[in-house]
Amino acid sequence: MCFSLSCSGHNPVNCIIPPYMLQVLALRGDEDTARMARSLLKQNEQVRDERAEHARAGVPPTDLLSGAFASHALSPSGQLCCPDRRIHDGGFKAALPGTLIRSEGDDPCGVDDADLAYDGAGHVFSLFAEEYGRNSLDGEGMPLVATVHHRRAYNNAFWNGAQMAYGTGDGELFRTFLELSVIGHEMAHGVIQFAGGLIYENQSGALNESIADVFGSLALQRSLGQQVHEADWLVGRGILGPGVNGVALRSMKAPGTAYADDLLGQDPQPWHMDHFVTTTDDHGGVHINSGIPNHAFYLFCNYLGGRSWELPGRIWYRALQSLNNPMASFADWADQTMDAATDLTGRGSIETVLLRRAWKLVGIGF
Amino acid sequence: MIIEIAAEGGFGGIAAAASHKRIDVDQQAEPMRQELCEAFEPDQLALLADKPCTTCADRLTYRITVTDSQQHSQIFTIREDQLPPETLDLIDQM
Repeated sequence: MCFSLSCSGHNPVNCIIPPYMLQVLALRGDEDTARMARSLLKQNEQVRDERAEHARAGVPPTDLLSGAFASHALSPSGQLCCPDRRIHDGGFKAALPGTLIRSEGDDPCGVDDADLAYDGAGHVFSLFAEEYGRNSLDGEGMPLVATVHHRRAYNNAFWNGAQMAYGTGDGELFRTFLELSVIGHEMAHGVIQFAGGLIYENQSGALNESIADVFGSLALQRSLGQQVHEADWLVGRGILGPGVNGVALRSMKAPGTAYADDLLGQDPQPWHMDHFVTTTDDHGGVHINSGIPNHAFYLFCNYLGGRSWELPGRIWYRALQSLNNPMASFADWADQTMDAATDLTGRGSIETVLLRRAWKLVGIGF
Repeated sequence: MIIEIAAEGGFGGIAAAASHKRIDVDQQAEPMRQELCEAFEPDQLALLADKPCTTCADRLTYRITVTDSQQHSQIFTIREDQLPPETLDLIDQM
């Protein structure tokens, strides 16, 4: 774990910090710290490559991880008031953010995607503010910046660390990305980032995806006033192209059943650890294995009944705020939700028993 | 010079939705030819591939293969956030 071959007098921590800690520093540190951590990770990789060459042994490479993430795990809630939405038209180009076409308080601008992004951002802000006491994505009232019409025939939506961007889809595989569970998913990536972050690979990456799906689904259910049993628990309902045989991108209720199409294949999401997918694609299957914690959340909500954004949402939110482990595994996260449930409902409560049962049913036992 | 670009990942994470594009740069008219040559110059791509990830969630990943006139190929794996907007616009035009 020591970088003795590349020790530098400029970095006294050079020989002390193990790679997993450098990954966290690269994720959470300020600009200088993150740069230092990335540099050391790179040196470490080079050293390991050299060692591998000398030893002719197959040492697996470590992916470089980094990012301008907030350095605090708990985002203090500031004064809660109103969202500050700023919706831009990207003009089908890649440069962000594009031309501002609707600001907070403006009447609908008549650009459907922009008005959907505006309304959706309002629903998501409201979920986090009114239910969990969070003032915007960073907890400190940051503006909600979004770009619609991003790139040409772009089959994607994302959060880039500072704003959301939505493509229109190519009309064949995808017809839109302006659907509330998708908007909530992308904005939740921002919340996760400012809550300390989850490294975007393997199990921690799948947790990042799952937590984004959970709050995306909760934003949708809350906007529709749905009880657990009235919700469809789909992520991205209606966004697939007209010729695609599928109802959505993912199903939290029944992972692996959202689509089955000649072109797209079968929805690959597992619901149980027995079917955990080990792959190097998709950052280690982050969009695949997220089906497992997604299903645990669904089961817990189903056991409790009522409104999922209330107690279940509060437990997941509290767990996210308390989590201080960017490389958390599914089991770590399950523990964290159990702690949050105990904090909110008391030790030995029926809710904690049901939550334990939900995790156990997806193969994460206690 | 031949440029081949395969894209995967993104919000959907659907492997089968990956796109694939191929363009023969020498067959393009100016100024497109010059823009492609500059944007996909191998040394430049290698530099871009080294850029740190600011936030990787739901971003596309491109596998870019550049084949020169001697049939020598170089392959780069580059995330969407590592490429400048002008290069992404070029990819969209291909």
